[in-house]
Amino acid sequence: SFVIFSKGMSASAHIATKSSTNSFLESEDLNAAVRHVCRDVVALVALLYCSPVLHCIVTSSKEDRSPGPISLINPFHLLKTGDKAFGEFLLDEIKEEKKIQMNKSLPKMSGGWEQEMNGTEVKLTRQVSGEKVTVTFNVNNSIPPNFEEEVEQGQQQKPAEDEPEIVSSPNFVIEVTKQGAKYSLVFDCHFPEDEMSHGDGEEENDIFAIREVSFQPEGDSDWKETSYTLNTDSLDWALYDHMMDFLADRGVDNTFADELVELSTAIEHQEYIKFLEDLQSFVNCK
Amino acid sequence: MGVVLRNLQKVVPLRRARLRRDVDTLRHILGIQKFDLGVICVDNRRIQQINSVYRKKDAPTDVLSFPFHEDLRPGKLPCPLHRDELNLGDIFLGVEFVMKQCQEESLDLHGALTAVTAHGICHLLGYRHETEEEWTEMLQRERYILTEYNRLTGRRLEPLMKRPGPDT
Repeated sequence: SFVIFSKGMSASAHIATKSSTNSFLESEDLNAAVRHVCRDVVALVALLYCSPVLHCIVTSSKEDRSPGPISLINPFHLLKTGDKAFGEFLLDEIKEEKKIQMNKSLPKMSGGWEQEMNGTEVKLTRQVSGEKVTVTFNVNNSIPPNFEEEVEQGQQQKPAEDEPEIVSSPNFVIEVTKQGAKYSLVFDCHFPEDEMSHGDGEEENDIFAIREVSFQPEGDSDWKETSYTLNTDSLDWALYDHMMDFLADRGVDNTFADELVELSTAIEHQEYIKFLEDLQSFVNCK
Repeated sequence: MGVVLRNLQKVVPLRRARLRRDVDTLRHILGIQKFDLGVICVDNRRIQQINSVYRKKDAPTDVLSFPFHEDLRPGKLPCPLHRDELNLGDIFLGVEFVMKQCQEESLDLHGALTAVTAHGICHLLGYRHETEEEWTEMLQRERYILTEYNRLTGRRLEPLMKRPGPDT
């Protein structure tokens, strides 16, 4: 004989078989025993069908091998429900972002700059009096962290229409290459974050600033860490001004800097929307 | 420290090195090399905003000065007690306004900016031109500065002040 117990249930289903030394097929007792067994089997099946706990034991034994209390919720079902909600949220988010997308086509830089894009990296190139000027930047991590904190705080206090626009102000590298020179002169530049400014016109920093200057091998060769790098933090200010004039003569001035921010902001937004679309496809993918 | 030069505008193509050199020459003439000075170049929109806030005049102008030391006797250098006080203040140059004047009068932009800066530095040193007496005193000082400047550089700059009255 064997007994099946169901956890948490007061009743127990059992099936008992009776063994006999008599011929099994000829006994009326046998027929009664078979009918008894069938009834019990039906009862057992009904018990199994109705018991959520037993159902979970069966399903959890297949899919959830982690220790701990047995949940009454199907984790597979939870995953699918979560993904569905996530996918629907992303759909709405994409719609909203496309509504506020200011430039469906990217803004154009003035000054005859040619533009190349490789994912999130942008390269602007220009020829000036036999020299080649290349400006490279990446829209990744180009939104100032102070801005992101302000937006989070603003969401608690201001209505949506008063929130400041997100602006991408990436660090950028300028390479100036002359035909006769062995190395390119490289300027590492950035947009200073003015502690006083919050978009209210009180900025008193230059629009852009040079951080480091060095000579590097021309083209896409690896950056030479052993090349002397001039840091402008403690630089003679007259020398700094000469370098800013040098860049301005090659088209990298305040107008260029403002246009670069506009271009970077548009590209970053475009990449963000594309990412959301890819994410939605991935979430919805079976 | 020395001269903190900032260019916050994109309307006028500015030669920073030249402007700094000219400001340093003015500081040398006035004997104020040990003092820090801020020179901030702005466009009409920004100078008009500052003019409106601080002088209640809603119009662009050529220069606005913000002295660090208030109530100085004209021409008397400050006697700072601490290193933090080795500061004369800030001058905002309305470069767009000055450029328009230069175009109308066929003047060299950077020469005009130097003359305007000399005027601004005089304000930081306590000079005013609200009365006729003050105006005369300030004009004399500006003439002296620019005469020395012209002697040192070979240029021919003239004082900003040509007739009595407050700045516009």
